[in-house]
Amino acid sequence: MISPDLLALLTTLKMAALTTVILLLIGTPIAWYLANMQSRVKVIIEAIVALPLVLPPTVLGFYLLIAFSPQYLPGQLWQQATGQQLAFSFSAIVIGSVLYSMPFVVQPLQKAFEQLGKPILEAGAMLGAGPIDRFFNIVFPITRASFITAASLGFAHTVGEFGVILMIGGNIPGETRVLSIALFDHVEAFDYAKAHVLAISLLVGSMILLSAVYLLNRSPQTITKRKN
Amino acid sequence: MACLSLDFSMVFNAFKLQLKQEIPLTSITGIFGHSGSGKSSMLRAIAGLENNITGSIALDDKCLVDSQAKVFVKSEQRHVGLVFQDSRLFPHLNVLENLTFAVKRCQHNQLNFKEIIELTEINALLHKKIHELSGGQKQRVALARAILAEPKLLLLDEPLSALDIPAKTALLKMLLTIQRKLNIPVLYVSHSLEELQQVCDNLLVLAQGKTIGYGNIHQMIHKLSQSHTADFIQHQTSMSLPIKSLNNGQGLAVLSLNDEDNIYLPALNEQPIQAEERMLRCFILANDISVSLTEPLNSSIVNHLPASITTINTTGNKVLISAICGQQKFLISISIFSQQKLALKIDQDVYLQFKASAVRTYLY
Repeated sequence: MISPDLLALLTTLKMAALTTVILLLIGTPIAWYLANMQSRVKVIIEAIVALPLVLPPTVLGFYLLIAFSPQYLPGQLWQQATGQQLAFSFSAIVIGSVLYSMPFVVQPLQKAFEQLGKPILEAGAMLGAGPIDRFFNIVFPITRASFITAASLGFAHTVGEFGVILMIGGNIPGETRVLSIALFDHVEAFDYAKAHVLAISLLVGSMILLSAVYLLNRSPQTITKRKN
Repeated sequence: MACLSLDFSMVFNAFKLQLKQEIPLTSITGIFGHSGSGKSSMLRAIAGLENNITGSIALDDKCLVDSQAKVFVKSEQRHVGLVFQDSRLFPHLNVLENLTFAVKRCQHNQLNFKEIIELTEINALLHKKIHELSGGQKQRVALARAILAEPKLLLLDEPLSALDIPAKTALLKMLLTIQRKLNIPVLYVSHSLEELQQVCDNLLVLAQGKTIGYGNIHQMIHKLSQSHTADFIQHQTSMSLPIKSLNNGQGLAVLSLNDEDNIYLPALNEQPIQAEERMLRCFILANDISVSLTEPLNSSIVNHLPASITTINTTGNKVLISAICGQQKFLISISIFSQQKLALKIDQDVYLQFKASAVRTYLY
């Protein structure tokens, strides 16, 4: 029998990994669209994407809880399609995480695409490269560091999520009981020893991940300078 | 003969470009105009980088744009190459990879990769990173990359404007050699008439978004020089003349103006740009020529040509005279004072005099 905390760790990693993949898939086109958009609607979309940065997670969690419940359309559609209830499921916390971590993926990508600009893509088009070709052979290789940043921040932020999951996930072991929730449980039960183990692991893990991101983001020149 | 047909308009904020022009695609055609005349926008429209176009653009019977029929061929499908002012090489690829980017997407692959590398003299640069290249090297790589895509038409948008004179000279020579060898039609946009005069056979002139003339390079320069929109260009005589000698041993190069008359200029140490044809393209500013009623034999000024005055135009304090020597027309600018003192009139025979150093050619 696997220990409850280890199970919580596995659930957390599974949730964060899946969230990151989904965010890269939908965040990239959103970031691209925003980077190239000139209409006034852009400000509104940017605000919506950035909302989780300032909104209390419980607010987002509260509205998601309502939307996911079988009384409302999103919850109903999900139930019809899968035969299972959406609220208090693993899928629910993944959807919640995707919305909650969206700015951490979209913003670095949008900034990278804006910096890249159109000129280099025009050069690609003049050599016969179509839009998809240009994305994979020009945009992606040049902005790769930003993709790594976006993925890492999205992942780390999802691991550290608490409020949204508390609202829509409940506390089902192996399903929605993630590390931050398990930590909260230990504190509530005055089991500070176990709480310490989880807290320090989360702290060290996040620290390592962020250091890796900043290391990768250092400009190539500074690295070569040091080598010399 | 292949031909580019333009009949379109496009509007930016407060600026309208409106062109109706057939351009035969032979050798290098220059597109000249001052900043804001619309010349770069015209290239971008041909390249497919501007999409707010009303009208049509056709290349060699292939329709690229027809706003009425809602046809708009994308840039990547036009088979048109473009060398930008700022190179736009891909920073994540080295020189060789930048070139193979073009080769991989080229549908014909008829050009010899090695030959293009040699013509553009980038053999030693192939494994360099882009940020290690000088401005001139970058433009040579950009030129090679554009050619390797094997375009039906090559567009150059101020390709030399960021370079110093030696790099400009080298690239102009290279461009001419490549054009002759591969026979790719080129449209060359520049605000430098000296540059265009060296390599273009025909010139299209734009002002305020409209064509104001198209024709043989020398004739167009004369037309612009004589037009009343003064200050558009400096008044000048532009010529291509056969080279008799690059250095006559006395510090002068000799060009043949006609059977009897020569034009002398400072000796040339290097082969001129149009060396293959033993021709030199040169120009003389109207301000640098003076008029004499008798042959100035006792003067250090080496060029004195018998000529006959054909027109006299007074604008402001200046008098612009055109005079013909053999078949060649010269433009001379003098003061009203001199014109009255010499009592110059049409059909009068005079001598034109100018120093060797007044005969300018792009290189020297």
